[in-house]
Amino acid sequence: MRFADLLNFAWQVLRGSVSRTLLILLAMGIGVAAVVVVTALGEGARLYVANQFGSLGSNLVIVLPGRSETSGAMPGVLIGKTPRDLTLEDALALGRSHAIRRFAPLIIGAGDVRAGGRSRETPVLGSTSELMDIRHMEVAQGLFLPQGDPRHSQPVCVIGAKVASELFGSRTALGDWVRIGERRFRVIGILAAQGQSLGFNTDEIVIVPLAAAQALFNTESLFRILVEAKSREQIAAAKADVEEIVRLRHEGERDVTVITQDAVLATFDRILRALTLTVASIAAISLAVAGILIMNVMLIAVTQRRREIGLLKALGATGGQIRLAFFTEAMMLALGGAAAGLVVGELGRSLAVQLYPTIPFQAPWWALIAAPLTAIATAVLFTVAPARRAARLDPVQALSRR
Amino acid sequence: MIRLTGIARTFLVGGEEVHALKAVDLAIAHGEYLSIMGPSGSGKSTLLNIIGLLDRPDAGSYELDARNVTALSDDELARVRREKIGFVFQFFHLVPRLTAGQNIELPMVLAGIDPAERRTRLTRLLAEYGLEERAGHRPDQLSGGQCQRVAIARAMSMGPTVILADEPTGNLDRHTGQEVLSVLERVHHNGGTVVIVTHDPEIGARSHRRLRMLDGAVVADEKG
Repeated sequence: MRFADLLNFAWQVLRGSVSRTLLILLAMGIGVAAVVVVTALGEGARLYVANQFGSLGSNLVIVLPGRSETSGAMPGVLIGKTPRDLTLEDALALGRSHAIRRFAPLIIGAGDVRAGGRSRETPVLGSTSELMDIRHMEVAQGLFLPQGDPRHSQPVCVIGAKVASELFGSRTALGDWVRIGERRFRVIGILAAQGQSLGFNTDEIVIVPLAAAQALFNTESLFRILVEAKSREQIAAAKADVEEIVRLRHEGERDVTVITQDAVLATFDRILRALTLTVASIAAISLAVAGILIMNVMLIAVTQRRREIGLLKALGATGGQIRLAFFTEAMMLALGGAAAGLVVGELGRSLAVQLYPTIPFQAPWWALIAAPLTAIATAVLFTVAPARRAARLDPVQALSRR
Repeated sequence: MIRLTGIARTFLVGGEEVHALKAVDLAIAHGEYLSIMGPSGSGKSTLLNIIGLLDRPDAGSYELDARNVTALSDDELARVRREKIGFVFQFFHLVPRLTAGQNIELPMVLAGIDPAERRTRLTRLLAEYGLEERAGHRPDQLSGGQCQRVAIARAMSMGPTVILADEPTGNLDRHTGQEVLSVLERVHHNGGTVVIVTHDPEIGARSHRRLRMLDGAVVADEKG
């Protein structure tokens, strides 16, 4: 039998019973679409989290004072040994490491920011010019903090987009003065609107030079040091360097916590991947159900088409040809169902994108291959039994009945 | 051309052995027009199925075109059936979703014959059996006589050695039956071998060789 004839024969069978064909296509399609949509949602969530971390800065290592672990025996605790503060000198010492590209010490406080007659309570960040590159910030107007010795400061500030519009309205903020606490700062830059990133809204902050923040909040101790490693591979080295440098400066005491962005990201990544896989395999079960449906329909077909199968044998069809005809039919159903499922899945995905434009929904490539492949595999697998039954049919018996 | 020697076939019906055929010897020459008659259960259909290679004998040997086909595998039997045997059934057995033309083409499709060659043969067969007008109709749009003509055209499509017809007129009225019979007789006139199973004595009388069967044995073999 020629391949084209085989396809044509199966096609005529499928066209001969439209509702049966459509039902199987529906079942297969739903299965494939479910896998595609579910993995797209999972992968979208994963990419979303990854992007959020990415917007924090790349190859980021965060140093915070204090050690979040219990150590030592009771007496030590009773003495009440508090961790040393993290200071600007500690931060500057980090410049010695070869694994570190740049770093930005950070102080955060809340300040009452006034301009003209308006006043607003906002988070005030004290940092250096490096902060912009580490945090991937963008300046819409003007400049970021000037470079120079962080121990000394000029009375300048950079304000978030929302702060600018709230305090100055339609007036130009750039070059004007704001008052934070008892000090006056000239606005030299306005940040581009970037929105929320991991609970921190850069639109609503005011950034001043580090020394100014130290004076403003009357503190020497840093809230964080943000460190950018030279590359992804250098992150571990940067972390080790930070720990070693600070330990030496703090008389051998390991009293800082160093978090790498990678470690946090990897944890989220693992969780979301596992979640996606789990839900995808649940969706894949619907494919198996579709496969069983195909088997049922095929078994019924063997009974219904006894006469036809008997006839084909009388006309000289071999058992192999009959099996092949059934497999071709199942294969066409699976391919049609998979194609329909991929289309519907893609529609579902674009619908999700319409509803949540910020989340990059995209079915991963393995799902786009695995879903149709599973559909085809189950279809073929579940056709083995019906096809064998058809091929073994005794033509004399099949033909003798009306 | 067909030589059966000591063919026996036993069925198990409800735990009891039924001897459908008991050591039948039969030789059919090329170009014969032969009828097999006998009451129900006399074994005539079983004999036809064995000649048609749809059924295997339990004993004896079968030689078709000087080749012993008794011990062939199922797939080899299918191939021999395709090349040498043409079946015509009482209930036509046309595939309902296929048109008359597609039904006639079916054996050639199974044999993997080139589409161009199939079209040539189909055109010739449609003309030969007066079905040109009906080629695009499905079986449910055809009369009984037309259905049986399609079935005969289908049986002839591979140029078989022998046409085996099992009660070909059993499902038709008298007039249409005569018509179908004359079509089969034309096959014979053109040099084909025709074997008809029937229990209509009138049809039997028209054939040139009449076998009478009773209880699984050939009890009469008249020629002329």
